[in-house]
Amino acid sequence: MTHPGFEAQIDAYLDGELAAPDAVELEEHLQACPDCSRLERRRRAVRVAVREHLPRFPAPDMLRARVRAQARAETRQTDRRRAPSWTALAVAASLAVVAFGSWQMALRGAAGEAITNQVLASHVRSLMPGHLTDVVSSDQHTVKPWFNGKLDFSPPVYDFAGGGFPLVGGRLEYVDGRPVAALAYSRRQHIINVFLWPAGRGRTVGPRAATRQGYHLLHWATPAYTYWVASDLGLPELNDFAALLRRGDSAAAATVR
Amino acid sequence: MESSELERFEAVVLPHLDAAYTLARYLTRNDHDAQDVVQDASLRALRYFAGFRGAGSGEGRAWFLAIVRNTAYTWQQRHRTDTLSTEFDEERHSETVADEHPEAALQAQSQRAALRRAIDELPPEFREVIVLRELEGLSYKEISDVAGVPVGTVMSRLSRARRRLEDALCAEPEDC
Repeated sequence: MTHPGFEAQIDAYLDGELAAPDAVELEEHLQACPDCSRLERRRRAVRVAVREHLPRFPAPDMLRARVRAQARAETRQTDRRRAPSWTALAVAASLAVVAFGSWQMALRGAAGEAITNQVLASHVRSLMPGHLTDVVSSDQHTVKPWFNGKLDFSPPVYDFAGGGFPLVGGRLEYVDGRPVAALAYSRRQHIINVFLWPAGRGRTVGPRAATRQGYHLLHWATPAYTYWVASDLGLPELNDFAALLRRGDSAAAATVR
Repeated sequence: MESSELERFEAVVLPHLDAAYTLARYLTRNDHDAQDVVQDASLRALRYFAGFRGAGSGEGRAWFLAIVRNTAYTWQQRHRTDTLSTEFDEERHSETVADEHPEAALQAQSQRAALRRAIDELPPEFREVIVLRELEGLSYKEISDVAGVPVGTVMSRLSRARRRLEDALCAEPEDC
């Protein structure tokens, strides 16, 4: 039989947590007591087996992204209480434009600013728990049909897993006074949201970039769709992503023709 | 929280997300709950962060893991998942053994299966000391901070937990 008082001590000894005098005493006992020394050998084997067979689990990228987004959102709430709000600045800016003369420009600018803010708010909200996707799938042929009956258009959905931007899923959003399609893609621990809806006048708008509260926003319009893209991904990589999207669209347009 | 605090938070807490998720994963025994626990714990950590004055990385880890642990226990009480049997986890429980495997590989596989079953069946206060000590490498003092029990209790729980794992591994006498 093992000496009961020694069992926990043997574990502490193997963990290097036993005070030196106790360790010396235990070592002497182990030499003299075959039962305890057998126990010590078995415990060593258990420790090896545990380390070999029980995995650590790396935090999923999505979790990492959400924890970050949450920290930023929380920080912004405090900053907003201290600093003049972004909307106030935007209003001030558009008033300044008005003062310089062109009503038309000011109106268009304010409308653009309103959409920018809506896209940003939607992006941030999507990063909160359970808000990212209504349909979770990396399969474009699952995500695209999901929008049937929910929107009056069928948004183009691509899978860029090959390009390092796997599709995560889709959801409905409400931007610029209408329901729009939102598609989530990921890049490492970053999430990219794509918002799109049919272009009003069919005018082409070249890609424009803006940075708000640490997030990058890209906007462009094809003859068919108005696009907004939001992410905390670095701008060069986000531009790569936008290029993939635009290439996908022009390939699709070419097929139709 | 101010922006400078955000930077400090990101430096102190984010490096320990893997440790946090591993602990939560073993305590909840599934991915979905573990993610929710860690996210919830991160939010709590943010709110209490002003009160955290530690500087070293080890202190940040113990502090954050204590929050994760408490969140997991509250979570389990609320959702009563611990009273339910462990849900079947494809990856963990279906260790298929092919006939052509060599003896050693076969034995390692059955050892792994036995150990994973055994850890899931341990009471959570035993499970957490194994994870914190063996997988995360925390000292007894750090574990006592995380679990909120004296060092002597950490020592005895760890010893009893290992005895149970040993029994599970030694189900067949020739294994030991």
